Amino acid sequence: MTEQMVQRPPAEVRFADELERLRETDTAPRPPGWALSLAAARRFVVGDDELGVRRKFVGDPSLIDRALVTLATSRGLMLVGEPGTAKSLLSELVAAAVSGDSTLTIQGGAATTEDQIKYSWNYAMLVAEGPSTRSLVPAPLLRGMAEGKVVRFEEITRCPLEVQDSLLSPLSDRVLAVPELIGPDAMVFAREGFNVIATANTRDRGVNEMSAALKRRFNFETVFPIADFATELDLVEAEAAALLERSGVQVPPRRDVLEVLVTTFRELRSGKASDGQAMDRPSTVMSTAEAVSVAHAVGVRGWFLRGEAGSAADIVECLAGTAAKDSADDLTRLRRYLEQQAARRPGPQWKALHAARHLLPGR
Amino acid sequence: MTAPVPVLEDAPENVPGNVAFIGVRHHSPACARLVRRTIAELRPAHVLVEGPADFSHRLDELLLGHGLPVAIYSHHREADRLRSSWSPLCAYSPEWVAITEGRAAGAQVRFIDLPAWHPAFADRRNRYTDAEERYAEVTARLCRKFSVDNGDALWDHLVEIEDDDGLAERLATYFDLVRGETDAGEDDTAREAYMARWIRAAVADAGNRPVVVVTGGFHRPALQRLIAEEGAEEGWPEVPSPPDGATGGSYLVPYSFKRLDAFTGYQSGMPSPEYYQRLWESGPEAAADALTEIVVTRLRQRKQVVSTADLIAARTLTEGLARLRGHRAPARTDLLDGLVAALVGDDLDQPLPWTGHGPLTGGAHPAVVEMVKALSGHRVGRLAAGTPAPPLVHDATAELERHGLDKAGQVTLKLATERGLARSRVLHRLRVLRVPGFERDSGPATGGDPVMEERWTLAPSDDRLPALIEAGAYGASLADAAAAVLDERLAAAGSRVRVLAAVLFDAALCGCADLSGQIVGTLRAGLAAASDLGDLGHVLATVLGLWRHDRLLGTAGSPLFATVIEGSVQRVLWLAEGVRGGPASADLERLHALAATRDALRHAAGPLGLDREAALAVARRVAAATDAPPDLRGAAFGLAWSLGDAGDAARAVRGMSAPGVLGDWLAGLFALARDEVIATEGTSEDPTILAVLDELVAGLAETDFLVALPALRQAFEFFPPREREAIARGLLERRGLRGSPRALLRTTADPALLADAAALEHKASALLAAEGLLPEERPA
Repeated sequence: MTEQMVQRPPAEVRFADELERLRETDTAPRPPGWALSLAAARRFVVGDDELGVRRKFVGDPSLIDRALVTLATSRGLMLVGEPGTAKSLLSELVAAAVSGDSTLTIQGGAATTEDQIKYSWNYAMLVAEGPSTRSLVPAPLLRGMAEGKVVRFEEITRCPLEVQDSLLSPLSDRVLAVPELIGPDAMVFAREGFNVIATANTRDRGVNEMSAALKRRFNFETVFPIADFATELDLVEAEAAALLERSGVQVPPRRDVLEVLVTTFRELRSGKASDGQAMDRPSTVMSTAEAVSVAHAVGVRGWFLRGEAGSAADIVECLAGTAAKDSADDLTRLRRYLEQQAARRPGPQWKALHAARHLLPGR
Repeated sequence: MTAPVPVLEDAPENVPGNVAFIGVRHHSPACARLVRRTIAELRPAHVLVEGPADFSHRLDELLLGHGLPVAIYSHHREADRLRSSWSPLCAYSPEWVAITEGRAAGAQVRFIDLPAWHPAFADRRNRYTDAEERYAEVTARLCRKFSVDNGDALWDHLVEIEDDDGLAERLATYFDLVRGETDAGEDDTAREAYMARWIRAAVADAGNRPVVVVTGGFHRPALQRLIAEEGAEEGWPEVPSPPDGATGGSYLVPYSFKRLDAFTGYQSGMPSPEYYQRLWESGPEAAADALTEIVVTRLRQRKQVVSTADLIAARTLTEGLARLRGHRAPARTDLLDGLVAALVGDDLDQPLPWTGHGPLTGGAHPAVVEMVKALSGHRVGRLAAGTPAPPLVHDATAELERHGLDKAGQVTLKLATERGLARSRVLHRLRVLRVPGFERDSGPATGGDPVMEERWTLAPSDDRLPALIEAGAYGASLADAAAAVLDERLAAAGSRVRVLAAVLFDAALCGCADLSGQIVGTLRAGLAAASDLGDLGHVLATVLGLWRHDRLLGTAGSPLFATVIEGSVQRVLWLAEGVRGGPASADLERLHALAATRDALRHAAGPLGLDREAALAVARRVAAATDAPPDLRGAAFGLAWSLGDAGDAARAVRGMSAPGVLGDWLAGLFALARDEVIATEGTSEDPTILAVLDELVAGLAETDFLVALPALRQAFEFFPPREREAIARGLLERRGLRGSPRALLRTTADPALLADAAALEHKASALLAAEGLLPEERPA
């Protein structure tokens, strides 16, 4: 598996050299079963210029502190937040730092079953030999417990409640029973280093339906959209430029166009214009990730349709598809924003955005 | 954390003479400890403290035995502008420790900074506020370097929680770095030059004995530099006196932890005063233990479940965080982070307040709010007996005597006379200051109220004096104090626009309608966040009246009210475009709001620079919006018409001719463009809107007419009787009939009775028809 062939290698492969450097210089005590000390794990996520470790997560460093300390205790870590706030990226980075392995991942969904979480069987062998460790096919949770590693559970709230609750005894008693086996194999005790990072988004179904028993076994950390305009703009610019390059677009995105785009996203997301006017928030998520994808689309349109970097008019065209999706109400909110807010802003790109408002579909 | 603190190469190591400069952060217990230790070790001849120099000779007042926190309240009035500022002191203020320990060590203690009235303090309300914005960039870089969230966490990390060994050097390095990269403004330069003069004089006076200087750390490097230079002046500097014509003074007032706290107070210093009080009293471990207990108690009082397991988890997390961050004992954010991670089992709606900076906003998680409150505490200062009283007490007594209002009983004031207005203003000012014993029984209730007389009941009581002393914190005179209170109420009103309107009207009654420029910003923000069209209309109408006409209260043309008008118009237009909904009966409040907007655009567009074109565009869009409620569409159509864009009225009314919506649409139209409708009646325009309407109503089937009737009646209520008569005349003419139009407007019997009769008749004929007792074809 060479890197060129893989679309997106896991974090521990992408940042293997950084992890290596951190491991070499890491002198602080490590919690049992951890690949790095807490301090080094923190540096891996928030960055360390001296060691040449990139900053990979833009947000409050205290969030990382709390997350790491939680993982070193007996409670699981639950990352909640709006979609597109880099929860999954964060869980991947933390798992890579703590266990050196971020691939023990369960993807939650309506069809997730206990088999996919705990273990299943190789049925041919099961019929031939009966239940044995050979015919047992371990799923991420069993592997994480047996190997002492962090298990990631993505979108946990999208699973049925009874499936979610299968985490209860592994989290509290740190043991997983395999009743089909007999003898010492029937109980898999968690080795040091095992813990669970779950993610849940607040839009889908929220965490309200989670059982209180399971909630109690997690510490909650809410991941927020990026608070600072300049930081978000930089991030969108960097990510969009990288995406555009991969799409074969030969000009970088224009900063002033991105400024208008990011401002629009931030104001709609917070429901508050820069002058303090309160507005309706769209029901779609105006996340940074969405902003990046709009910026990408704007650049692609500009380059392949007209051979330039993309303009404010392209933003309007792309917004209809991403920000408003199929909701007529959101389209109305967007239109109102373009009509009244964009009109009052200074600068040619805002003028262009206002002038292009008729490109929104409908009406 | 083991990252070294960066050191500036050219940091001045030696200071001339025998001066110990202690650069502090205001309200920092660690700095206070350093001050105490330094004074105890050096036994200095002089202790110089950053504080108002004009209060130096009254330091004894501070030592009367008050309950802390107290503040030196300074107010100053120049050219009709009031400025007030506070210099708050609490038990762990380095300045307070310098004063008390300096005195105890037998040193001469002086304040050496410019007085509060000086222009260098023009924008400061709190002398000891953190001026972080001056060096935000450096702080941000250091925060990145140490991986902490903000300047407060950085400060805890570097100073409060670290060992006291080497604290002086650490502080010096920190502030050298901060100052080295930041330009001091003109204000700071003036203050530093003045403070340096005091230090030079003290050094000269002290001979070989040491001098201790306690100032904000930001000033320390500059002061060291200035002292090394030769000073031209000899001897103690003069305390500058205020410019001619300016008045002012300083008094001690009780202060509170709530006002000290950056999470709740305005322009304040370090957050969480209760935490730092306990840190000062008993160290970080004890502070963390005590506050954990307080938080848990508070949460349990609020019926939140906090189990023993949660407490163990919180403790473990706090310890773990402290260790990860390299703290010898849990710091403030370790404690808060540990508590929140263990106790809050939900997603949060907004970031944790201690990861950012500034006041706590609404919508925070209740448990988080309790934590912040517990660390904020609710200690309130108390002045010792015999502390000099503020001048407001004397001013109010004198004003009451001068205007003959110092007795009990009823008074009637004629507002149109100068004396009456002056007396009324005195009473209103006392009323807004909440001084008991002044009740208004009657008087004008809104801006347009044609009432010229006020009745008051005066009832002197024992509560009056304490209330006045408290109100004295707001200002030296009744007018200042009332203006300050109104400022405060305006700021607190936020986006509750009806409250805003009440405050603005009070301001007019008190003769304080020229509130400070700062308030304009607050007011704009409040209006911009308002969400109720009716309320906004109410404000707009009130204020427009006061701005245009009110010569009685003297508010005509007031710039403050102009701001309100501008903000409201903008917001009404924004909100109007967002209203969605099917047919519903006309919302009169909403229509009044649009009517007020029309008046503002008509009468104030020129002087205030309101954007007529933008308003017209909104009106056209709303009028054409099929998903907007009919009354609003009618009103928008009327708004456009009254602004000069008639459109095709006849076509518009035909478009809205369904019986369920016709009346409501007309109500909107008539509310906004009644004059225009009547004006077209006499002209050659054909067909006029009323003619079309006549035709439509005549064409309605019986049941449809009954459906449309109530709303139609309501719509025509907008016409006064004389215009209704003109409409009736047109109706007769159109049918070629003669007769008195007035008779048409009056029914001889109760309409309900007529309706009953018609219904009965209808029922009877239906019955007859059913029984075959009537011919099939009824005569026309």
